[in-house]
Amino acid sequence: MNMIRLIAWREYMENVKTKGFWAGILIFPIILAGMYFLQTTLSNSTPTRYYIFIDQSGEYGEAVETAIERDHQQRILGEFVNYLIENRADADLELTAAGAGSDAAAQLIEGADTDEVAALDQWLDSGGLDFALTMVRPTLREDIPPFEQPSRQFIAAELPQDIDREASPEEIAQALKPYLSGDKKILVDSVPSDLFALILIPANVNEDIMRPGVMPQANDRPAGIQYWARNLTDSRLPEAIISSINSEIRNREYIELGVDNGIVRNVQHTRMRMSQLDPTAAEGEEAVSVADTFRQLAPIGFVYLMFISLMQSVQYLLSNTIEEKSNRIIEVLLASVTAGELMMGKLLGIGLSGLTTIAVWLLSFFLFITLYQSSQTELIGQILEVILGSELIPWFVFYYFAGYALYSGVFLAIGSLCNTLKEAQALMMPMILIQVVPLAMMVFVVRDPDNVIVRAMSWFPLFTPYLMMNRAAADPPLVDVVGTTILLLLSIVFVLWLSGKVFRMGVLRTGQPPKLTELLRLMRQGN
Amino acid sequence: MVDSATPLHSQPQSETEPRSVLSLHNVSKTYGDFTAVDDVSLSIPKGSIYGFLGPNGAGKTTTIRMILEIIKPSSGNIHILGHSSALDVRNRIGYLPEEKGLYKKMKVWALIQYFAMLKGMNKQAAKQQAWHLLKKYGLKDYAEAKVESLSKGMGQKVQVLSAVAHEPELVILDEPFSGLDPVNQSVLEELIRDMANNGQTVIFSTHVMQHAERLCDHILLIAKGRKVFDGTVNEAKATIPRRIILESVNDVLPLSTIEGVTEVLAIENPEADSAGTRWQLQISEQLNPQDILRSCFEKNISLSRFEFTEPSLHDAFVHLVGEDAREHAFR
Repeated sequence: MNMIRLIAWREYMENVKTKGFWAGILIFPIILAGMYFLQTTLSNSTPTRYYIFIDQSGEYGEAVETAIERDHQQRILGEFVNYLIENRADADLELTAAGAGSDAAAQLIEGADTDEVAALDQWLDSGGLDFALTMVRPTLREDIPPFEQPSRQFIAAELPQDIDREASPEEIAQALKPYLSGDKKILVDSVPSDLFALILIPANVNEDIMRPGVMPQANDRPAGIQYWARNLTDSRLPEAIISSINSEIRNREYIELGVDNGIVRNVQHTRMRMSQLDPTAAEGEEAVSVADTFRQLAPIGFVYLMFISLMQSVQYLLSNTIEEKSNRIIEVLLASVTAGELMMGKLLGIGLSGLTTIAVWLLSFFLFITLYQSSQTELIGQILEVILGSELIPWFVFYYFAGYALYSGVFLAIGSLCNTLKEAQALMMPMILIQVVPLAMMVFVVRDPDNVIVRAMSWFPLFTPYLMMNRAAADPPLVDVVGTTILLLLSIVFVLWLSGKVFRMGVLRTGQPPKLTELLRLMRQGN
Repeated sequence: MVDSATPLHSQPQSETEPRSVLSLHNVSKTYGDFTAVDDVSLSIPKGSIYGFLGPNGAGKTTTIRMILEIIKPSSGNIHILGHSSALDVRNRIGYLPEEKGLYKKMKVWALIQYFAMLKGMNKQAAKQQAWHLLKKYGLKDYAEAKVESLSKGMGQKVQVLSAVAHEPELVILDEPFSGLDPVNQSVLEELIRDMANNGQTVIFSTHVMQHAERLCDHILLIAKGRKVFDGTVNEAKATIPRRIILESVNDVLPLSTIEGVTEVLAIENPEADSAGTRWQLQISEQLNPQDILRSCFEKNISLSRFEFTEPSLHDAFVHLVGEDAREHAFR
């Protein structure tokens, strides 16, 4: 036991002392944080887009203007809700659809979550940002930074003077093409800028209104409103315009039919509420909260964490074994300790490195969400709290160690048969692919944890740690839990025994890794 | 040529012999059809310096690995330090394998400490011993360096120190001299003598005869997996017939009548312009070469050359395993 501890400690210390180890660990949170910042920065730094709007029909100018204003207000509302979540006096994740807090901020947040359109209407009706700021002030913490309005994303530009507003749509489009393709710049406040889009409403646009049951006429000209833009992926502008124009058209139809506009709007915003309830929860606490949903989705995170950490650990195990083997240190070691002690020492030492990795990840995660507070990170933090406090942790610890023992046994045997990492890679491939199978299934498994195929596959020991972890939140049938656990433990004993044999035999071998038949023969000989 | 099937000397001492630290009884190791070690028996007295000699591929390393129970013999048994398995007395054995390698990223002193601790020393004592050895054998300045920064020879010295740091009763060094410069070779010889003086038993394998000749009390000659000789260095030399080379214009045949002269043979003279003929006399162990010289004067044989050299271990080696060694060279 002393020897195992000594070997494990050396493995661990030598591992932890290398720069590569820390680089390998820290790259993960750094990339995640980097991605987070990058995404936030990118979405905030989308440049102001200039568009030209020409309405030859003279009917929809106001609607389009409203649409763009609403889009802007929508952004303000979104940012404002984030601002509220960040700066509310009492943060509380147990938000349920049924029982949200009663203060103004909570209502705003809930509204934005459930029905964006209605929330926006209400926002605009009640006076927008200024009103909201005064409303929610009492529920916010002291000493918070002032709210910063997002800049406008879409701004109308003037038509260049040499183009005639009354020319035919074809001519206008033709004349603006150089601007739209970036060859020419339009002047906005005397600053040359890129023209993002041209929205052109022809005089006879109403001929193109579609109605149920009426076949559209074939035309050789573009139908309806013309949206000219090189960028096809940023669809916010055309979507805002078309939905605004559509509601304008519908309003007119209602008026034609003699229906009160206000009634229609009220009808449109009428909705039923829904409470999700958990039959297994204690009485009075059945309401499903956001946290409950996360609790059920959490296994995905655990499976993923397990996969990454196991992959990293077994890689270390493999390269360390190969180093000792190719350096022939192994012979000195085997003259001092038994192959079994050596193997167990390595397993423990590298396992410890794996745990260090997870600990560092969690720590840097906490550090990140503590240092950088925003609505998203706060949410992540609360999710993390829910998960760490849940009954999933013991499951994770068990399946992590079980998976580690099982896979590391296999990888250790592979390492003992190879003299170079290159040789090992060919043998590792199938083992990695096997782990990809449960990984690819993880989202499906969470949704349907007791699926027959999933249940059957859980009994395959190499899948058990992943799949059972994946199912853990859904209280899998007892027979599955007990059965797979017994099978898993037996397989671990078997794999470790077998790799011990291969290890003893493999570590002193030189030359190419043996063929399977040769391996079996060598193992029968038992040396 | 000695028949390799019948070793010349010393059957293994009985197991009850208290001074024997290691004995092998009819030990063989086969890999499939290939026999790496064939029926080797030997016994090594306590406190001796014992050389395993033999050409490449003779089975030295396999024998050593079996002694350490890194691999198991196919047949036969081994008694080591009073036990039937080296695993029971691991901490009393020090081992330097043939192929040298160390953890590259470790500091020199920490490495020696680690290996000593694997042999059961406590942390503090192992550290002290590491520093003591590094100072004593001229590596003090490298103690804090990483192993990867050492030269090959220096690394090998460190590895030898790490193998013996726990002061084992039995030290087994597989080819310890290979790769060392002459200065460090003599440092290593000094280390081996120190250990023997300290009452430790040292076994080392080599194919460089000078080291064995200078150091060993006993040697084992092994070729093609078989023991061809086991005994003292002088006994090994005695296996070679003693020869005298003469050059004379006279007839030397009358010398063949001297008791102890077993053969008189005319041999080719490498110096073509020389007037005399070269002769080779084979003489028995008891015969003093001076007697031959005296007889030459008495019989009026005028000599232009009289050569008698004591055989070296090298000659004995070539004599005993010459054929095998050549065969092995082309294997």
